[in-house]
Amino acid sequence: MGYSFTLRTIYPYFGDLWQSALNTLLLSLLAIVLSIALGALVALMRRSALRPVRVLGAAYVEVMRNTPLLVILYLVYFAAPEAGLRLSSFMAALVGLTLNSAGYMAEILRAGLIAVPPGQFEAAQSQGMSGAQVLRHVVFPQVFRTIYAPLGNQVIAVILASSLATAVALDEVASWMQTVGSSSFRFFETFVVAAVVYLVLCQSVNIARILIGRKLFPQGRRT
Amino acid sequence: MIQYWPLMLKAAGTTLWLSWLAMLLGAFGGTALALLRQIKFAPLRWAVIGYMEFFRSIPILIVLFFVFYGVPLLLEVDISPFVAATLALALHASATMSEVVAAGIASVGRGQWEAAAAAGFSWPQTMRHIIAPQALRVILPPSVGVFITTLKESSLASIIGYIELTRTGLLVRDATGGGFVPLLALGAVYFVINYAISQVGAALERRLHVGRRSDLVGAMA
Amino acid sequence: MTEILALDGLVKRFGSRTILDGISLNVSAGEIVCFVGPSGTGKSTLLRCINGLEDIQGGCISFEGQAVQGNPGAIRAVRKRIGMIFQHFNLYPHLTALQNVMLAPVVVHKEPRAEVEARARTLFDKVRLAHRINAYPSEMSGGEQQRVAIARALCTNPHLLMFDEPTSALDPETVGDVLTVMRDLALEGRTMLVVTHEIRFAADVGTRMVFMDQGRIVEQGDPRAMVAGAQTERARKFLGTIHG
Repeated sequence: MGYSFTLRTIYPYFGDLWQSALNTLLLSLLAIVLSIALGALVALMRRSALRPVRVLGAAYVEVMRNTPLLVILYLVYFAAPEAGLRLSSFMAALVGLTLNSAGYMAEILRAGLIAVPPGQFEAAQSQGMSGAQVLRHVVFPQVFRTIYAPLGNQVIAVILASSLATAVALDEVASWMQTVGSSSFRFFETFVVAAVVYLVLCQSVNIARILIGRKLFPQGRRT
Repeated sequence: MIQYWPLMLKAAGTTLWLSWLAMLLGAFGGTALALLRQIKFAPLRWAVIGYMEFFRSIPILIVLFFVFYGVPLLLEVDISPFVAATLALALHASATMSEVVAAGIASVGRGQWEAAAAAGFSWPQTMRHIIAPQALRVILPPSVGVFITTLKESSLASIIGYIELTRTGLLVRDATGGGFVPLLALGAVYFVINYAISQVGAALERRLHVGRRSDLVGAMA
Repeated sequence: MTEILALDGLVKRFGSRTILDGISLNVSAGEIVCFVGPSGTGKSTLLRCINGLEDIQGGCISFEGQAVQGNPGAIRAVRKRIGMIFQHFNLYPHLTALQNVMLAPVVVHKEPRAEVEARARTLFDKVRLAHRINAYPSEMSGGEQQRVAIARALCTNPHLLMFDEPTSALDPETVGDVLTVMRDLALEGRTMLVVTHEIRFAADVGTRMVFMDQGRIVEQGDPRAMVAGAQTERARKFLGTIHG
C-alpha cells in the first residue's frame, strides 16, 4: 500500500477549515431556530378547528418527510431567480434547510402537545387560569419535557444535514473536505478531520442536552 | 417536457434499485452487528456501539466522498459511483438497522428464552425458531422508515456523478432551458414513491399490531 | 341562609344527545349536596357546567348572584371562587405537591408567596400529608394524590367545593382516607357538591341527596330518609341495589 496517513500535509488548509466550520455552525443554528418557529406554526395548524388548515399542515409535513433535502435545496436555489430573488448560497441553504427541518419540528411539537392529558387543561382552567397562564404554567412545562430528547436529536440532524449545502456551492465543512481533498489528494486525512469536526459538534450537543436535562428535570424520566 | 418522462421513470427505477441493494446490505450488516452486541464480550460490544455512534454523528455525504474519492487512492482500485454510493448508503443504513434489530430482539420477553432453554434448544436454534420470528414483527415497520431514508439519501449519489433520479432531473432541466418545473416534477416523483412506501409501512404496522417507535423517526436527508 | 348557587332549567346537549334535560336546583351555604344515580346520567356534566368547563344550550346558572354563561370574564371570576376535585386527580406532574397547591393562589389570585406557602403547609397538615410536601405526583399513591388535590382546591379559599367522583379511581383501602378528609370539611361548614357512588358516605355526611337519571332530577331529599325508603320507584331500586 503506497499511502501513508500524514495529517501534516493538510495543515495549510486548516485556516479554511475554521471559516467552513463557522459556516456550518451558523447555518445550523439559524436553521434550527427558524424551523422551530415554523414548525410550531405548522403544529398549531394541525390542531386547527378548520379542516383545510389541518390538511395543509399535514400535507406540509408529508412533503418534507418524503422529499429529499437535496431536491428541496436545488428547488430553492434554482427557483429563487425565477421569482426575482437573488439568493446567496447561504440564504438558499438556510431556506431549504429550514423548510425541511420545520416538517420534523412540527411532528415533534405535535407529539408534545398530544401528550398533555386533557385533564390538565381542565384542572388549570377550573382554577381560573387564563389561556396564557394555562400555557405558561401547565402546558409548556409538560410539552417541553416530552419534546426535549427528540428536539436534541433534531438539532443533531440539522447539523448533519447542513453538509448538503455543498450542493448549492456553500463553503462549509463537507465542501472543505471535497475541495481540499481534490487539491491535495489527501482524502483520508480530510475525511478524518471533517468527521472529527462533525463528531465534536454532534456529541457536544448530545452531552449538553443530557447535562442540561439533569438540571432541568430533577425528578428523572417523567411518568 | 413530457418526452422526458420515460427517462425519469427509468431513473426512478435506478434509484429504487440502488436503494434496495443498499438497504439489503444494510439490513444484513445491521443484523450482524445486533447479534454481535448480544455476545457478552465487552470490547466487542463497545466496538459495535462505537461504530453506530460514529456513523450517526457524521453526515453521509462525507462518507460518500471518502468512499468514492478516498478509497481508490488508498487501495489503488477504481470504484464506480454506483459501488461507492451503494457502499456508503449501506454503511449508514447498517448503523440504524443494528439498533432496529437489537430493539426487535430485546422486545422478545425473557420468558421465551427460558422456555427454549428449558426445552433444550441451542442458542442458534432458539434464535432461528423462536426469537427471530417474533422479533421480525417488531423490526419490519421501522425498517420501512429506514428504507425511505435510504431512498432519500440516494439522491446524494448525483453529486458524485451517478445517473439516478436526481441527476436525471437536473439533466432534464438543462435540456429544457433551465426552468424550475423539472425540479418540481423531480420532487413529485420522489414524493409519490416515498409516500406510497410509507403507506405500505403503515399498513404493515396495523397488520402486525405493533406500536410506533417515535425515537426512530426518519433522518432528514 | 345565603343562596350560593341557583340552576334554572339547565339544558346540555352533545350533538343530538341530551345529557341534561332541564335541571333546576338551589344550593344554600353550608349544604352538602350529594348527587347519586346510574353512570352516564349527567351528574359529572352538571358539575362541569357550573364552572364553565362545559357550555350549556339552555337555562341559566347563577353563582353568588352572578350569572355564569357564555361570558368568559364571568366564568373566570366564578372559577376563582369554586374549587374542583376531579376523579383522576389531574395534579400537575411537573410540580411537587407543595408547588401544585401553591400555583393557583400565586399565579391566578396574585397572593404573596410567603402567605400562600404558610397556608399550604397548614392544609398539608389538615390532609395528613405534611411528609409528602416535596414529592412529585408520580411518586404518590392515588389516595395521596387525591388528598393533595383537595388541598390544592382548598388553598384558593373557595366558597364552593365540587367533587367529581373523588374516590372512583382509588383502591378500596385508600377510599377511606379521602372520605375522612371530606367528612372533616363537611363538619367545618363548607358548601360541597359531591358526585359519588359512595351511598353510605352520602347518607352519613350529606345534607341533601339528589337522585338523577337520564339527565333529570328524579328525587331529592334527606339522605338517610331516601336510603331507608325513597318515594320514587327508580330511586328505591337504585339505592336498594347499591349499598355504600
